[in-house]
Amino acid sequence: MNQKTNIQDITKEISDLESRLQDAKARLAAANGPKEKHDPWPHMQNGYLEKGKDILSTPIHALLLLSDSALPLGSFAYSNGLESFLAHNKPLTRSITPLASFRRFLKLSIASIASTSLPYILAAYRHPEQLETLDNDMDASTPCIVAQRASVAQGRALLSVWERSFRWTYASKSDDGITATACKSLDAFSDGIKSTIGTADDIGPKGHFPVLWGVVCLVMGVDIQQVAYIFMVNHAKAVLSAAVRASVMGPYQAQSFLASKELQDMIMERIDREWDTDVTDAGQVVPPLDLWVGRHELLYSRIFNS
Amino acid sequence: MPELLSNSSSSPSLQASAADDTSNMPIKSPFESSIAKPGHGEVTLSLLPPSIPTLTTLTYKYPLKLLTRTPGFVPQHSAVSAPSRPVHLYLLTYGGGLLPGDHIDVSVTLNPKTRMVVSTPQGSTKIFKTTETNANEKHHRSTRAHELSDMSQQKLSVQIGSEAALCYLPDPSVPFKDSRYEQIQTFTLDGATEGDERSSLCVLDWVTQGRTSRGENWDFELWRGKNEVWSRNKMGEKKLLLRDSVILHDEAHEIYPEDGQQDAARLSEIRERTYPHGVVGTLILYGPVFDQLSSFLMHRFTSQPRIGDRNWSSSATPAESLVDSPSGDSQNVTWSASRVRAGFVLVKFGAEDFETAKHWLGDLLREEGSVVREFGEEALFSL
Repeated sequence: MNQKTNIQDITKEISDLESRLQDAKARLAAANGPKEKHDPWPHMQNGYLEKGKDILSTPIHALLLLSDSALPLGSFAYSNGLESFLAHNKPLTRSITPLASFRRFLKLSIASIASTSLPYILAAYRHPEQLETLDNDMDASTPCIVAQRASVAQGRALLSVWERSFRWTYASKSDDGITATACKSLDAFSDGIKSTIGTADDIGPKGHFPVLWGVVCLVMGVDIQQVAYIFMVNHAKAVLSAAVRASVMGPYQAQSFLASKELQDMIMERIDREWDTDVTDAGQVVPPLDLWVGRHELLYSRIFNS
Repeated sequence: MPELLSNSSSSPSLQASAADDTSNMPIKSPFESSIAKPGHGEVTLSLLPPSIPTLTTLTYKYPLKLLTRTPGFVPQHSAVSAPSRPVHLYLLTYGGGLLPGDHIDVSVTLNPKTRMVVSTPQGSTKIFKTTETNANEKHHRSTRAHELSDMSQQKLSVQIGSEAALCYLPDPSVPFKDSRYEQIQTFTLDGATEGDERSSLCVLDWVTQGRTSRGENWDFELWRGKNEVWSRNKMGEKKLLLRDSVILHDEAHEIYPEDGQQDAARLSEIRERTYPHGVVGTLILYGPVFDQLSSFLMHRFTSQPRIGDRNWSSSATPAESLVDSPSGDSQNVTWSASRVRAGFVLVKFGAEDFETAKHWLGDLLREEGSVVREFGEEALFSL
């Protein structure tokens, strides 16, 4: 029994060290001259798992959990500005089909979420000890209450899932290393949220989704490239699912959007672009998106919360 | 305008003759300009007893020019007790714009209870085209250092003491075709104060599509605008309260090197991302002096007609009855106001063109009246 736990500990430690090594290598590569593509699937060769790599030593299990639409984050309640965009661009001129209009929105939305959120995700992953500062700075950078509520609601839901469901399996058993730091910082952050009274002018910890996403994924042993990639795919999924429910397109069409090479390339391009962006240089690249999201409150009828 | 500029000259002899100027200018040393770096400027405003706004520092160096003036305006019905007279600071650059490589860096300190209006009397900030010094470098992803060398940059940092107020309603930036520009504005508040003792600020930051008369339509390469508000407590610890950051970057510019034909054919990425607006902007409000204005704008925003609501009472056609904003508001301005954290109100807007946005905002601010009441009509000079 004792020996068994020992083995588990060691495996855990190895995967921990491996992920740190990969992160360090990635940072070294980023610091050293020309940028290479950030392959989100370093374990894969031509789409297959590398020979000799045990499926359990790769974080595939965690990946499946984190990309599951059944992960209870409540993401289905948010259209990320799509609903308001549709209302603001009505009626469409004859030359623009609803699908073309949606394609434009998806492209803008992906560029915008990448420029505003990716720097925070990557920073939280690389420096989990700065969780609270990053959360504060992200809150300061969120320009409207609609977007703020959406981000905080999903962030806190992720924190709850971590505490109630994942922690037991994934919490780092060792006392040092970056994942242990991340784990401690999550605990402290969660305590911080519980002890603040949520008044309007309060500037205590909020729990923004991108920041917590970075730290939770780190603890679960997911590679930094994958953390970014899955966040972006999940965002695209949320927008497409909202599009289906807002009757922009049917479910098959939505899946074909999701499966498209165009979407994959778009996501990879945005990740590449934001890979070295400092959080202080994160910002909105699509100013009208702030207007659409901010004016969601003015819609006569709403099916989404953002 | 010439009259206004001569009044604000910092020469001591003119000072005395300017009838409406009672602020005590520091005696200028002939060597003073050698202290500042090119493009740097420093201003400190203090209130000397009984209540005389006084500039204790005023330095600047080419290509920057700073002028100050204290008009006779005294706030009569202020939101706060015993308001001081506002001092005007004019930011000027030689030639009325920024050339590639120009770096402007202005640091302003507003000591407790002082008031300042910062304005741009030369009109819009013109951002001139970035000249291609080395065509070969264009093909590579530029490094940060290279990026900065051929870019114009303007930094403004303002420390606002307790009960002090800043009103900064400048003309918009007008980035010319192929220009690159970065603007970083940092405002630091006294974090140890509460209620009516808080610092106040009103900051407008807006950018247009370029020179419409020349057919420019978001044809610049990069415009990055960042506004940060920090609070600093007694221990000197700083906390970020608000960061508003807009990046308008024609990313395809990096991929397709300068090439007339290709340039004309492809759609500007910035145009696509700002569509359908010709101007976008942000207004940041904070503090006791602007509380009323903040509430007014929030109320005006939330009482806009619902989007997609049908106007059942009118017999208009369905297309017309999809009301957007009929009650005096301009049809061509899309805006939102949000009470974000720590008591800030953030207004974001997009409009068809500069004139539309200017009239819309000018009308709103005049109708509410706080800015004119607290700082005088001249504070709305650009609107």
